[in-house]
Amino acid sequence: MVMRRSAPRWIAVAMSFAVLAAACGGDNGGGGGGGGGGGGLPGEGKPTVTIGTKDFTEEFILGELYTQALQARGYTVDLKSNIGSTEIIDKALESGEIDGYPEYTGVAVAVSAGKDIIPKSAEETFNLAKEFYESRGQTVSEATPFFDVDAIAVTKETAQANSLSTVADLKKLGSFTLGARPEFKDRYQGFRGMQQVYGLTDAEFKQLAFGLQYQALDNGDIDAANVFSTDAQLASGKYTVLEDPKGVFGFQNVVFVIDQGKLDELGGDDFMNIINEVSALLTNDAMTAMNAAVDIDKQEPKDVAREFLQANGML
Amino acid sequence: MNTFVDALGFLRDNPALIWEKVVQHLQLAGAAIGVALVIAIPIGVILGHQHRGSFLAINAANIGRALPSLALISIGLGFLGVGFVNVMVAMVILAVPPLMTNAYVAVDQVDADAVEAARGMGMRPVQVLTKVELPLALPLIFAGIRTAVVYVIATGTLAAIAGGGGLGDIIFNQPSYHLSGVIAGSMVIATLAFTAEGIFAVLQRALTPRGIRGREPEVDAFIEPPVADVTRAETARV
Amino acid sequence: MIAALLALADEGPKIPDFGRGSDCVRENGQFCVDWVVKNFGDQLLPRLIEHIELTLIAVGIGFTIAFTAAVVAHRYRWVKTPFTAFSAFVYTIPSIALFQLLVPVTGLSWTSAEIALVGYTLLILFRNTLTGLQEVPDDAIEAAQGMGFTRQQILTRVELPLALPAIMAGVRIATVTTISLATIAAYIGAGGIGQPIFDGIQRGFRTQFVTAGVLAVALALAADGLLVLAQRALAPWMRARQATS
Repeated sequence: MVMRRSAPRWIAVAMSFAVLAAACGGDNGGGGGGGGGGGGLPGEGKPTVTIGTKDFTEEFILGELYTQALQARGYTVDLKSNIGSTEIIDKALESGEIDGYPEYTGVAVAVSAGKDIIPKSAEETFNLAKEFYESRGQTVSEATPFFDVDAIAVTKETAQANSLSTVADLKKLGSFTLGARPEFKDRYQGFRGMQQVYGLTDAEFKQLAFGLQYQALDNGDIDAANVFSTDAQLASGKYTVLEDPKGVFGFQNVVFVIDQGKLDELGGDDFMNIINEVSALLTNDAMTAMNAAVDIDKQEPKDVAREFLQANGML
Repeated sequence: MNTFVDALGFLRDNPALIWEKVVQHLQLAGAAIGVALVIAIPIGVILGHQHRGSFLAINAANIGRALPSLALISIGLGFLGVGFVNVMVAMVILAVPPLMTNAYVAVDQVDADAVEAARGMGMRPVQVLTKVELPLALPLIFAGIRTAVVYVIATGTLAAIAGGGGLGDIIFNQPSYHLSGVIAGSMVIATLAFTAEGIFAVLQRALTPRGIRGREPEVDAFIEPPVADVTRAETARV
Repeated sequence: MIAALLALADEGPKIPDFGRGSDCVRENGQFCVDWVVKNFGDQLLPRLIEHIELTLIAVGIGFTIAFTAAVVAHRYRWVKTPFTAFSAFVYTIPSIALFQLLVPVTGLSWTSAEIALVGYTLLILFRNTLTGLQEVPDDAIEAAQGMGFTRQQILTRVELPLALPAIMAGVRIATVTTISLATIAAYIGAGGIGQPIFDGIQRGFRTQFVTAGVLAVALALAADGLLVLAQRALAPWMRARQATS
């Protein structure tokens, strides 16, 4: 018989349903969070939740963090990593292919909601994002302490040679190439916004897969690169991150967005409390350290997430 | 059907973008074919002339046909870095086999009588090659060039992954250009491939010595394929 | 939970030591043997197996469709043109585009990939099978007719065996082509050895995408080699003919 690639996963899900059904009628566990006592876990008896992630390291780690924390509390999670950029994963959310995923507040406002505006604070951004999602029948968790904004980096040499310290300074270069991931091109919180707000009309956009930009910077294939502010490579000292005084790249804390109807099925607060517990742990230092473990030491996101959760008593 | 109409709309609304990418794409393809020609044709012709190295020539085609283009680009990316050169090297590697094998088979299988007659008339080997073998081999050599050109144009789509630009930049960027852009880009590549193929078909006919026109190779199907007989469509595989 | 929040307020979460990668890996070398050895079993090998599955299923289904169509076209000439036109049309669509076109219909999945991969095999398999059947020497058919074979028998006992080399050549090319295209299918989440290539590029992790690339090449060459052997084994009489050409 033809074995579908995901056969083992389906079998696992089916079996867990069978077991849960057999134990039907049992207690649904106490309220969320905290001690598990001897009673049932919050996730028991709940349907499977499908979580997606976007296509870069930090999202992979976030996906694993939430997944493993939920699984520890009895939830059955189907994690679909690496679905694609915001535009693509948002469609997956809307179509029901996934139930929820970790999203950056600024990106939610600029890309998913399509608003070409510059919110003045993290708070405002969060509220706009929450409003937007609720208007679509979805809801969000609390925001993480850490934020990860798009940024523009150049090599230290380039910055020194041309006295570059902000994105606006790039004008001094005259014409220059910016290497960036494909979706960056059309975004207001991206290339398009950079050009408009900072008047960088002489910039050439070079499309690159996201993992290649440091390599390309090192080799001189591009003058500037789109990076993420929590990237591990930035700690090496080889690169200068240009400041964004006009806030084009926005405020980007992470929230977990999930379909409201699905959330209710999953036990509402029971579910969300776990998410919030994990989110509360994610400071900039923690996230950067985990990114470094995956991007520099090439550990697997799954292992890094597990070790972090264990160290913080969540597993 | 709707997306198809949207795609046409995309073409109408983004002429500059399409043009820029087409130019990049053709630059890449052109460079790759150029280098591949310089490498493959002389080797193939000389080996065919001397009737040596058939094992190499035939198997080069088989191996070349098997190489997954994405894999080659990714290996190249590791060793040669991002950009034009890396992708060009991968494309040269993919283009050389059909060119070389066709050149080899073309010269090797030139009518032995014609060659003997030429020798009998006192021609030196070089003259035999240039005045008899090459002209008679030209149609098949051109069949190989046609194959390689279409193949390289199709493979150029993947260049975008490695920062090589070209129409792949649109096709791999659905977030920015939407499905309409992806389809539009694909239509342009298919058109480019067909056009190139048509141009080379005309060239092939024009350069075939009048005496052997009409005895051109059957470019239809294949038993144990020297790539010579490969159909145009078979090579549009990326 | 309160305890966690209090601890957080004091000094932030506990950040464990995640373990240092080897020097090779930290320097992002092109081929870190230690990483490959450590991760081959649970990262690369499963992808290879997925890839082989993807390919076998696509070629299997494609062959069933194309072979049937060819046998029908051999009998009813008018079938050839529309089927060829259709399969050639599919073939011309750059694979990335076809994969992306199918996603809204059948999702970011294995199914979308398989539909496209099957589509790409049709032209070659159809063409080769049909040509193989059509090039069976008339003498052989006449002899069979003279011996009183029915149409069915001629097909199964004379035409198909003689068409075997062409058919096998088609299967070989289709398989190798599919292996190549399946690497690209990873882009829409179908798995296979293309997955670590795309993932590696996405992470900038050289060893990952270089190794995956090498494995893809090795798989393709191995498949090609095996099929050549199968071709020779199934049609030994062709060897003599080739040796003289």
